[in-house]
Amino acid sequence: MNEEQVWLDEARQGDKAAFGKLIEAYQTPVYNLAYRMLNNAGEAEEAAQEAFIRAYTRLDSYDPAHKFSTWMLSITSNYCIDIIRKRRALLLSIDEPLPPHPALMSDNSKGPEAQVVMNEQQEMVQALLSELPEDYRETVVLRYWYDLSYEEIAEMMDTTVSAIKSRLFRARRLLAEVGQANGLVTMNDSMVLTAVS
Amino acid sequence: MEHEETYLLMMDALDGELAEDGRIKLEAHLRACPPCLQEWQAIMVVHTLLQTTPALSPAVDFAQRTFARLPNRRVRIWTMAAIYALLLLGGVLPILLGVWLAFVLGPVLSEPTILSSISQSIGHALQVMGTVVAALLAGLGEMIVQQPAIVGWLLVLLGIISIWGGVSRQLIFQPAPQQIS
Ligand SMILES: [Zn+2]
Repeated sequence: MNEEQVWLDEARQGDKAAFGKLIEAYQTPVYNLAYRMLNNAGEAEEAAQEAFIRAYTRLDSYDPAHKFSTWMLSITSNYCIDIIRKRRALLLSIDEPLPPHPALMSDNSKGPEAQVVMNEQQEMVQALLSELPEDYRETVVLRYWYDLSYEEIAEMMDTTVSAIKSRLFRARRLLAEVGQANGLVTMNDSMVLTAVS
Repeated sequence: MEHEETYLLMMDALDGELAEDGRIKLEAHLRACPPCLQEWQAIMVVHTLLQTTPALSPAVDFAQRTFARLPNRRVRIWTMAAIYALLLLGGVLPILLGVWLAFVLGPVLSEPTILSSISQSIGHALQVMGTVVAALLAGLGEMIVQQPAIVGWLLVLLGIISIWGGVSRQLIFQPAPQQIS
């Protein structure tokens, strides 16, 4: 039995501290997913917290035959999709430009210049993702940051593998189109990002 | 080769699942078809961008603050267990009582004279109940018409009870924050 299973068993018996270990282990993947989906640091944090609380109160319905990470991510993405739909219902603008999050950079090994470039990269990625409808966005995020197979994504999103494949390819073409329109180009084989304003 | 087939090959290439003959086909088409080549380059740029963008981390105290918001599962489990036990008792007890009564009284009650007197008394009881219910309904109707203030107060009382119900539930399910040990 690995550490995670021990924590899960203890948490299921009502041991809060054991679930605290799971929060520590999964905070970055859960928060990253929420941020990619919602494109807003405050909302992402609220959604990530809510996802953990939901997971904790619904631990009895977790099937140990599945990976805990997948279960946790699907609770998070479902909650984010709910928020996006509510937001749309409230007629708020989804594409509102938002300030970058202070905790944007998790890699401290690079110098300040590298960090500035990385911030631009994060902003560019968020700008691109915000152009996608939410089910495309979810597919792209799950594929690129979580290394999930098509089968796992299809199961999480309650659809077929072929639907996920075509969604992902259409999303990539859409992103390429938006990227080109915004001056995202390659130079000298190594990738250089130029955002032409 | 059709553009559509090219798209399928591009998809496989992005997934790292392009076989040698597919690679040759794709390269041949891209050399001959400038629009596809341009799109492929644009897709590759976005693909590389996404692949090299690290995950975003939450604030340093995120885990601690999330932990503080967790409800108390143990209290919740015990409360739910108690409620289920009460519901079960509430459902099972009347049935047991009915079965017991049927066994004890069954033989006595099945005599014909007793049966007819029972049906008579049930009839009387129903009549009396009907009269009482009718009188109550009439009285209630009159009260609503003549004393709306009393009805209003009853509604306010109900509201207070439901609010306190909510507050006590909050107290049970959301105890004071604790620190991670
Ligand atoms: Zn072509």
